[in-house]
Amino acid sequence: MSDISRRTIFQIMGAVPAIAVAGSAAEVHDHAHMAASAAATAPFKRQTFDDHQWQTIRVLCDLIIPADSQSVGAAEAGVPEFIDDWLAFRAEQDGNLDLTAKIFGGLMWLDRQALPSTFAGLPVDGQKKILDRIAYPAKAAPEDHQYVPFFNELRSLTVSGYFSSKVGVQYLPYLGNTAVEKWEGCDPKVWAIIEERLKNGYKGGVIEAKPWGA
Amino acid sequence: MAQTQTTPKTYDVVIVGSGAGGGVAAHILSLAGAKICMLEAGDWFDGTKDSKMFGWPYQVPHRAAGTPDRPWGYFDATTVGGWRVPGEPYTNADGSNWRWWRARMLGGRTNHYGRISLRMGPYDFKPYSRDGKGFDWPISYDDLAPYYDKAEGLIGVFGTHEGLENTPDGNFQPAPAPRGYERLIKAASDKLNIPCIPSRLAILTRPLNGRPACHYCAQCGRSCGVNANFNSPGVHIKPALHTGNLEVRTGAMVRAVTVGSDGLANGVSYIDKKTRTEQEVRARIVVLAASCCETARIMLNSKSAQFPNGVGNSSGLVGKYIMDTVGSAVSGFLPIMQDLPPQNEDGVGGMHMYMPWWNYKLQQANKMPFARGYHIELGGGRPLPGIGIMSNYAEKWMGGGYGIEMKENLKKMYGAGVHFAGRGEMIPNEDSYCEIDKDVVDQWGIPVLKFHFKWSQDEILQAKHMQETFQEIIHTMGGIVTSSAGADKNWGIAPGGEIIHEVGAVKMGDNPKTSVLNQYCQSWDVKNLFVTDAAPFVSNADKNPTLTISALGWRTSDYIVDQVKKFNVKV
Repeated sequence: MSDISRRTIFQIMGAVPAIAVAGSAAEVHDHAHMAASAAATAPFKRQTFDDHQWQTIRVLCDLIIPADSQSVGAAEAGVPEFIDDWLAFRAEQDGNLDLTAKIFGGLMWLDRQALPSTFAGLPVDGQKKILDRIAYPAKAAPEDHQYVPFFNELRSLTVSGYFSSKVGVQYLPYLGNTAVEKWEGCDPKVWAIIEERLKNGYKGGVIEAKPWGA
Repeated sequence: MAQTQTTPKTYDVVIVGSGAGGGVAAHILSLAGAKICMLEAGDWFDGTKDSKMFGWPYQVPHRAAGTPDRPWGYFDATTVGGWRVPGEPYTNADGSNWRWWRARMLGGRTNHYGRISLRMGPYDFKPYSRDGKGFDWPISYDDLAPYYDKAEGLIGVFGTHEGLENTPDGNFQPAPAPRGYERLIKAASDKLNIPCIPSRLAILTRPLNGRPACHYCAQCGRSCGVNANFNSPGVHIKPALHTGNLEVRTGAMVRAVTVGSDGLANGVSYIDKKTRTEQEVRARIVVLAASCCETARIMLNSKSAQFPNGVGNSSGLVGKYIMDTVGSAVSGFLPIMQDLPPQNEDGVGGMHMYMPWWNYKLQQANKMPFARGYHIELGGGRPLPGIGIMSNYAEKWMGGGYGIEMKENLKKMYGAGVHFAGRGEMIPNEDSYCEIDKDVVDQWGIPVLKFHFKWSQDEILQAKHMQETFQEIIHTMGGIVTSSAGADKNWGIAPGGEIIHEVGAVKMGDNPKTSVLNQYCQSWDVKNLFVTDAAPFVSNADKNPTLTISALGWRTSDYIVDQVKKFNVKV
């Protein structure tokens, strides 16, 4: 029985997105059906942003995480939809609109800086010029400082939303949440790189790694 | 109000609760031939049907984020449960902040828990004899060792034979190989002379009794769709049901143990949640395993002319000496782990390595500022991306920014986080107990618990030692500490109850005046009343409670079978 159910896992993996597994073929089919319908979430309906805010958020998401040769940008990855839903969810959970107000206030500030255009109506260069004033906390001018938390928040939501999306998972990539036939621990090739770095350090990351032992 | 309905049949045993303690009792007693009625306050749960294995956060509402009623979010096995259960309040005395976790579902928290399965060691049963604090257990390691063997054999635990002091080895399946960051932590631990060994978790690496080996998706907390990890419904209850001797009633919220004119228990009364009617079940033996505080609550609410302070409470000790585990955590970032070729680092649901307590010799020589010890749990690597992933990295590490460069940098930084959590022993104290709150009832009209709780200096100084040690390990790995706690935050010690290792409240002992239960977890006052959850625990060693609940519950169940045969317990 154990062999059958384990084999069954490997047969059905990949066939459906989310699934619970049991012993018999009939059960497996039922579960696959159940899981697939549970996974199909209701179609997206905007709850937080109006049309103009929505347009601005989509522009901002793609500025924060743009498309590149490896993956699409945040707008196509569904991050604006995530943020719209998340703000509504937080308002409901927290019993206040603090987070929504922070984002709305920031969007209005961006539009004011873009006058007589709107932020979304500016060319990319102009948009970046405004963002640069609030995107680097230590460098922000005193008069812009109060909108730094807005951008920190928006970047945080965009990053969180992007890397937890299907696109983000594939970009990282995260290779798990699947059935593995045999667990063998750390890939020896990866361990060899780590050992080499233990001796010589590594400068290719965002933060330099110093050697610490052999 | 509807009239109380009594089931006409008299069972051999009624068991209250279906988690590790209720499950093991049902398993052993049903195999021995006893006719059993098990009552569970929550709904039916079967991981092979209900598990949300292999689902992705982006497929479900709010990226599977947690809420107060569902702290670990959409995918977690705990369908109804948490530190807050709607309609079932509890209260805290002024100055106390006890957080009481309850899982209202078949199998209780065994569906969700971390599967960490550590035997208590010889010292852990005799702590008072070693350092003069707390109490000794009425049993020794040797009394429980055969039952640890049996429990491990049934639930399936992996591990390695190490022969370390007060860290008994067990009846193990092979342990899974370590992940990359775990090998690094081991290297750093070696430098610091901290033992770092394969962990011991109740997850199968080999098939066992018809259950398949793990497929390494790392999501044990969702419950396992094939029962490759230990959970009470799949491992204890399912085989018990096959005997034909076990009947399970769900949605049954127990109010009290009922007592006959002979002073013996004759069953329990409960609220059937669906019909909101009062029901009674008659049985010759009553086993309470409702989780330690709930078990104490039932006993305290079981008042009668014979037992005005609650059933089995002539000592006045029911509700006293509740304990949780000392928990404190530090997070860090390991630059050496950046920008590595991607690999699947899931493994089993939990750590493959851990560090058992290593300072017994120093403590014996009076060279440590606190009594008792802790073990270190760890995490890191390339986890399943969920809500909040790397959300503050740019602000924290890159001076802010946005765009392609930030995107690429985040990709490099993914997989370089590391996390250490200490899990340490709490010594029972007079200020930590629960009692019935005279003014508050739950939605079923049952009086609720009021908690009193206090850490002592031993626990707070232990948390300090955790903080200092974890930071030292991170620094040894060339890492950066990203989250820690100092004296102003009591060294990050988690509020009582937050680690969800609550034990005690119905103490066992060798003297009816200073304990509620004898060494077989049998009530001194009511010979046919037993307790098989963590309520009988006399201390709360740093060894996570579930395995000891299983072993102790098995020992009690064997004793019940034996007593029934000898007619010492009324049947």
